[in-house]
Amino acid sequence: MNDDLRALTDLDRIIHEPARLLLMTILSGVVSADFLFLQRQTGLTKGNLSAHLSRLEEAGYVKIEKTFKGKLPLTVCKLTSAGQKALAKYRQQVQSFMDKTS
Amino acid sequence: MNQDFTEIQQRVRHYWFKDGVGEIAVGGLFVALSLYFAGHYLAGTRLLPSVSNAPLYIDMGLGVVLLLGIILTRKFIAVFKMHITYPRTGYVEYYIESKNSLAARIAIFIAGTLFVLILIAIGRWVGSFKWIPAFLGILFGGLLVFLRTKTSGLKRFVYHAAVSILLGLVLTFNSMPVPGLSVYYATFGLWLMAWGGWVLAKYLRENPLPNGEDDE
Repeated sequence: MNDDLRALTDLDRIIHEPARLLLMTILSGVVSADFLFLQRQTGLTKGNLSAHLSRLEEAGYVKIEKTFKGKLPLTVCKLTSAGQKALAKYRQQVQSFMDKTS
Repeated sequence: MNQDFTEIQQRVRHYWFKDGVGEIAVGGLFVALSLYFAGHYLAGTRLLPSVSNAPLYIDMGLGVVLLLGIILTRKFIAVFKMHITYPRTGYVEYYIESKNSLAARIAIFIAGTLFVLILIAIGRWVGSFKWIPAFLGILFGGLLVFLRTKTSGLKRFVYHAAVSILLGLVLTFNSMPVPGLSVYYATFGLWLMAWGGWVLAKYLRENPLPNGEDDE
């Protein structure tokens, strides 16, 4: 197996799943976003979104907090520093592969 | 991949402008400024010609109008989004470029007030205020194009910029019986409020309140 292909096999599988990649990309541009916003932006069902966020939380990439904004109850999600690093590494790996193979 | 990544992040940045409330609030601030400048004109020429210090007091009042206007604008946007936008399409907290927000806000307020007072001083020195609408029209037009390029990518900011520049030039190169600055702020403020109202109506139509379910 050549190095280009080996780089692909090293990709972080947690991020590589399209819905989770979309979630992490959205969260990387903001301090935090709530469950409803993420649902509207991704088009995922509540159950699907919840499952993907739980997976990202287990991996330490996302932090989920129940909070209030004024009187409005919110479930907000933030990308952790580990999540930021993992996403940056993932992007760099994919970009590098595409640069070498295109 | 980079392009998709950027597109997704830009879509997230668009969200802040999706409800049109920013334009409504800034339009309201501009209308308040137009009333201030109209008052300035009337106090100096019609209402209080015998009170020689009246324009001076009103000059000093500009800081108060700006400060109150900025505070009320921010409060209005925050309360509106809290009650109307977030329950419909969700809550987002954006990164603020300057973390030292209080110092930055004070600096922006002082710089803004000084800027306007300098414009007034230059106008008095030159003996004419006719050029100020064109200057402001181009300035705000430039800021709106910058905002479109750097922050939002929304096409409507280009329309706002075009209106601002055209309005400023028309007011400067046509004789008006009332001060052009006041007309500029009133017209551009009403334009922004009307456009923001239209965007808001569309937003509310397309995004009814979700059923009262839990958010998870």
